[in-house]
Amino acid sequence: MLSQQILNGLVSGSVYALFSLGFTLIFGVQKLLNFAHGATFMAGAFIAYYCTISGLPFLLAIGFSMLATGLIAILIDLIAFRTLRNRGNAEFPALVSSIGVDLILVSIAQQVSKTQVLNFPFGTFPIKFYDLFGLRISLLQIVILAVVAVLVAALIFYLRKTTFGRQVRAVATNERAAALLGVNAQSVYLQTFFIAGALAGLAGVLIGLLFNSIQFLMGEPYMLRAFVVVVIGGLGSVQGAIVASLLLGVTQSLAVAYLPSGLTDAIIFGLLFLVLLVRPNGLFGDINAVAGGTRQ
Amino acid sequence: MPSLKLENVAKHFGGLKAVDKVSMEVPPGEITGLIGPNGAGKSTVVNMISGVLALTEGDITVDGVSVATDRADIVARKGVARTFQNIRLLPEATVLDNVMIGFHRREEAGVLAQMLGLPAARRDTKRFEEKAWDLLRRFRMEDFAEYEAGNLAYGHQRRVEMMRAIAAEPDIVLLDEPVAGMNDVESDELATIFRELADSGMGLLLIEHNVGFVTRLCKKVYVLDSGRMIASGDPEAVVRDPQVVAAYIGTSGH
Amino acid sequence: MIQFYYAYQPIIDFFLLSVGFGYSQQIALRAGVFSIATAGFAALGSYCVAILATKTGVPIFLTVILGTALAAAVGGLLALPLARLRGAFQAIATLAFVQIILSLLLYGEGFTGGALGIVGIPREVNTWILLIVVGLTMYVMWNIGRSGMGRVFNALRQEESVASSLGVNIGKYHIIAFIISGAVGGLFGGLQSLYTFQIEPHNYGFAFIVNVLTVVILGGRTTLLGPIMGALIMAILPEIARPLAEYRQAVNGVILILVITFLPNGVGDEIVFWFRRRKQARQQQHRASEKEARDAVS
Repeated sequence: MLSQQILNGLVSGSVYALFSLGFTLIFGVQKLLNFAHGATFMAGAFIAYYCTISGLPFLLAIGFSMLATGLIAILIDLIAFRTLRNRGNAEFPALVSSIGVDLILVSIAQQVSKTQVLNFPFGTFPIKFYDLFGLRISLLQIVILAVVAVLVAALIFYLRKTTFGRQVRAVATNERAAALLGVNAQSVYLQTFFIAGALAGLAGVLIGLLFNSIQFLMGEPYMLRAFVVVVIGGLGSVQGAIVASLLLGVTQSLAVAYLPSGLTDAIIFGLLFLVLLVRPNGLFGDINAVAGGTRQ
Repeated sequence: MPSLKLENVAKHFGGLKAVDKVSMEVPPGEITGLIGPNGAGKSTVVNMISGVLALTEGDITVDGVSVATDRADIVARKGVARTFQNIRLLPEATVLDNVMIGFHRREEAGVLAQMLGLPAARRDTKRFEEKAWDLLRRFRMEDFAEYEAGNLAYGHQRRVEMMRAIAAEPDIVLLDEPVAGMNDVESDELATIFRELADSGMGLLLIEHNVGFVTRLCKKVYVLDSGRMIASGDPEAVVRDPQVVAAYIGTSGH
Repeated sequence: MIQFYYAYQPIIDFFLLSVGFGYSQQIALRAGVFSIATAGFAALGSYCVAILATKTGVPIFLTVILGTALAAAVGGLLALPLARLRGAFQAIATLAFVQIILSLLLYGEGFTGGALGIVGIPREVNTWILLIVVGLTMYVMWNIGRSGMGRVFNALRQEESVASSLGVNIGKYHIIAFIISGAVGGLFGGLQSLYTFQIEPHNYGFAFIVNVLTVVILGGRTTLLGPIMGALIMAILPEIARPLAEYRQAVNGVILILVITFLPNGVGDEIVFWFRRRKQARQQQHRASEKEARDAVS
């Protein structure tokens, strides 16, 4: 029973990772919180759903949805962040303006779905269960774990080993210095936003499948959990986000199973609070979170 | 009036010794100079004194009491004020309000009195306003009282910083390049003010890149180069010191 | 006048409550704290009042005071860990705080009624009471703005290092800002529950956070006029934009983006700044002409 819960926790944790990676990537590069990330996630599920019911093969629907959410994220950067960023000191204004984008996307989804809960048509994904060392695991869970593992590995490879990755890290460390070295910060921003959006979109599809439910407010709880993940992992840290996501998934799954229901949120957000108290930079973070007033 | 003392103060950033074994004194009623080429570690010294940077080694005392580990606001409360080399004003506030914030540690009204608008709070504000106008007149800034500080010319911004720093009548003032970017007339005006402040008992530490201004004004001058104190003493003697000459020529590239 | 009042009474009341919550949000931002904890404070105040008013014989007046005190105390406690954090981290921590409060409200069913909330709260609050309390709150905010505290808050918002170089204990003033934000949020939360008959945790969720934030962003983060203008726009907007009623949230979103991008100080602050600049220009002119006159004489 315990190991079953841990397995389930790892599966949802890996989707959290997919979702939080983009969020933390954007923060790492721009030092801005993108509040519309949850809505991007929701949009991913919606687009895949409408593609599927209009007859597109499911895999194609996913691909199309990732492309679309990547573009939505780019749009978010252009509409909500770019002007503010150029003005400087954008931390708070950008938070507000991304909330604005979130409201727009959620409102559109509400109208499109007429506030209904949508489900992928029966048979979109084969329902199969396997017994593995006494654990019950569905085909979908296996696919989710595999897909996330591959994508995360690809992303880490991309950030570590390619020119783009070096540029991302250069911009994240010091935008001006990066510009002097000939790095085009704007293009780095667009690329990170695209990646972040596409990953969030895919996460939305996977969650829509896993719980067989898609609705216009589905992004909100994931958005809130992304905050927990990035704080525990350290804002801007990719490894931290992965570890913290899995940790959160397992913690949550165990809390649901063994603790009074309803307390789960209090526990995970209490955990977030605790981490902020003890280690404000998170487990892996290198961005200074602590305020002035103390000698450095 | 207390004096400020640094004893074997050092600041290391990783392997880099930004400041190493620096000892100096800022006595009351005098203007003391700290000069040195760019990157010599002058601002690091100021930041250690004022509580922004932690010391790697050594001790800093005010009136014999160590302030080396105190937070910036506590150092300020112990009577050490400063200006910033890269001017830091409250850009949205008026010049008058920028000066007014300088009186913070002289406030007498409590938090509740301020919220309820009790007479104590009004008295504070009125008292500070009068003093602020005195300062504005002294620095010939009264015409700019209602200007937004962010819109002022560079030299005027520096004056606002100085008024703010001396508003609460500190014992020691650290002036980080106060006349940078000013013309001779302006810097002469400030020199007069600095002398008056010293005569009233304040201890001034003048951190300058410009050697001439310091030698004219200071009783004693310390010279930093690459984080080390290479000379100190009478200004006329110090500027002729071959090591000092070499340091300035060596790094300025003339 | 009377007819106008009866026709628009719900809107007026909504406006007054929004102004109150707006000041709770504003005081934090004004002190440079990125807090979005007002929703949590409002929930604490409103539940405290609702529980006391429906389950005990505590006089109504006292329930509001207790609700206010509770939210203020929690605000002060919250500030202890938060004063160490900056920017985005403060925003996240306060968001977590709101989530913790909400989930505790959902969990403590026996006490809070869980998801259904509390019904049958006596309706003791009317427009006049709201008006008086908003007036008192404004008076306090006005005093803060004119006192040393207001100057410290301005300094903290614009340049923290300057404040601390002048002897300002940053942590202390962040705590004060949180306590005031908590007290005002709790106070208006309490009034809201005595006004609406029924409350539930959902009232204080993400939508509440966004609404309060919108009031202050639209209106302005530093002036007394800010929350009033913001709340006014939020109250009138649905009436004007009735054809877009279904897309109301999207309209709010568009407005948020436009205002923060093109009018970053907010409508109310901009109005105050405009008058201030005009006054400055006049004084300048006055001085210039005085000087001319002097020069002419000599």
